[in-house]
Amino acid sequence: MDLFVQLTINGVIAGAIYALIALGFALIFGVTKFFNLAHGAVAVVGGYAAFFFLEHAGLGVLPAAALAVCVAGMVGFALHKTVFLPLRRRQATNLVLLIAALGLLTVIQALIAMFFGSQFHPLSQFAGAQEVYRIAGGAITLVQLIIIISALAVFGLLTLFLKKTKFGKAVKAIGDDEEVAQIVGINTHAIIGYVFFIGSAIAGLGGVLVGFDTGIEPTMGLSLLLKGIIAAIVGGVGSLSGAVLGAFLLGLAENLGIWHISGEWKDAIAFGILIFFLIWRPRGILPR
Amino acid sequence: MEENILEIKRLTKHFGGVHAVQNLSVVFARGAITGIIGPNGSGKTTLVNLLTGMLPMDGGVIVSDGATLRRMRAHEARFYGITRTFQNIRLFEQMTVLDNLLVVLTERRVFASLFERHGAYHLKKAEALLRQVGLWEKHNELALHLSYGQRKLLEIARAIGTDARVFLFDEPFAGLFPEMREIVKRQLEALREQGAAVLLIEHNTELIRQLSDYVVVLDSGKLLAEGKPESVLRRRDVLEAYLGE
Repeated sequence: MDLFVQLTINGVIAGAIYALIALGFALIFGVTKFFNLAHGAVAVVGGYAAFFFLEHAGLGVLPAAALAVCVAGMVGFALHKTVFLPLRRRQATNLVLLIAALGLLTVIQALIAMFFGSQFHPLSQFAGAQEVYRIAGGAITLVQLIIIISALAVFGLLTLFLKKTKFGKAVKAIGDDEEVAQIVGINTHAIIGYVFFIGSAIAGLGGVLVGFDTGIEPTMGLSLLLKGIIAAIVGGVGSLSGAVLGAFLLGLAENLGIWHISGEWKDAIAFGILIFFLIWRPRGILPR
Repeated sequence: MEENILEIKRLTKHFGGVHAVQNLSVVFARGAITGIIGPNGSGKTTLVNLLTGMLPMDGGVIVSDGATLRRMRAHEARFYGITRTFQNIRLFEQMTVLDNLLVVLTERRVFASLFERHGAYHLKKAEALLRQVGLWEKHNELALHLSYGQRKLLEIARAIGTDARVFLFDEPFAGLFPEMREIVKRQLEALREQGAAVLLIEHNTELIRQLSDYVVVLDSGKLLAEGKPESVLRRRDVLEAYLGE
C-alpha cells in the first residue's frame, strides 16, 4: 500500500514537471502550429541559468530562480526573433521549422555542455536540507510540493490571463487564423514574440525546479521535451487544460505502471500511451 | 467620381504562366460603392488578396490616401485603413461571437493590448455592431456554431468594427436569405454614407445595379470596362464576357 501511495505521489510530481513543459509547448504550438523542439533546450537554459546565478553570482535561491526564469523567457524570445520569425516570414514549412528547432536544441545543449561541463549538478545543494512531509504513508519533499503547486498555479494564472485580457483574445485569434488576425489589425509577430517569452519562461521554471528536485545536465532537455510533447498530444495539442491533464495522466501512468515491473519500463509506457493516442485518438482528450 | 481614397496603378500578379491580374489601374472613391464584376477566374478575388497583402504584387503600386505602396503585407492592411471579408468565410471559429468583435476593437499595440482599459466602451461598441446585424442574441455562442448566413453577418460586422476607410466585400450576399441580404445592404449603404470606399464583388448584376455607384468589369485579369452601372451593364463586350450573351 505504501508503495502504491509513493508511486502515486511520484506520478503527480512527474505530471507537474511535464505540465510545466507541456504548457509552454502548447501555448507556443497554439499560435505557431509547429513543434518547437528547442523548447526543451530553453528548459535546460533555465536550469543552468539558476546554477550560474547560485554558483557564480552568489545570489539567493529565490532571486536566482526568478532571474533564471527571465533568462529562459528571453532566450525563447530571441530564438523566435532570430530564427523562427525570419523563417516564417519566408513562408518556411512546418518541417523546415521543426528541423531548425531540432538544430537549435542540439546547438544550445552543446553550448551548455561546453560552458558548464557535462556532469550532473544538483541545485538542491544551494537550498540546504530539505523538509520531507509524510502523506498517507508516502513521502514528498518541499521542492516537490513546490513543483506541484507551481504547475497548478502557472496553469491557473495562464488560463485566467488568456481568458480575461485582450492579449489572450489576440492569442486565441492568431491560433484560429493568423492571416485573418493580421488583416483585422492584430500585431501577430509581436504577440507571438510575447507568447514565446511566456512559454519559454514557463519551461525555464520547469528546468529550475527539476534542478532543485534532482539536478541538471545539458542533455536533460530532450527527455523533458519528449514527455512534454507526449502530454500535449495526449491532452489535445494546443489546449492548455489538455496539456495539464495529459501531463498528470502521463506521470501517473508512468509511475503506477511500474508498480510490479522494473522502472526501466517508464519510457516504454510513455511512448506506448503516445502511440495509442496517435492511432485511436489523435486529437487528444480535450482537443482545442 | 468623388475624392479618391484608394488607387491601383498597373497592378500585376501572375501565378506561373497565368496572369491573374494584368496592368490593372483603377481608382476607388470615398463615399462610394464600387461593384467589381467579371466571370469566374477574372481576377476579382486576386485583386482583393493583393489589396490586403495576402498575396505579394508582381508589379504596379497601390496608392492609399496618398501613400504609394510597392509592397503590402497582410498586417499592414489595417494600418492603411483597408479591411475585407472572404468569399469562403473566415472567422475566429473557437471564439465567441462577441470575442470575434472585441478582438478587433482592441488596442493594436502590444503593451496597450495586455489589459482591458476601455472594456466598457469596447463592449458597448461590439454590442451595437452585433445588434446592427441582428446577432446580439448569439453573442455568447462560438462562431463555429453559427449558421452560414449568421457567419457571413458576423464577418461583415467584424470588418466594420475595424473602422477601416476601405472595405472589400467578397460576395457578401452569396447564399443569404432575403432578410439577411437586406441587413447586408443596409450595412453597405451606411458605410457609403459614412464616407468609406466600398468594393463589392458580386455575381448578381441586379444587386450591383441597385447598390453600386461605379462598376469595374474584369476579364482574364484585365480591365474590360468601368463606369456608371447603367451604361457599363449594357455594353455588348461586358455582356459577352460576363453573361456569355
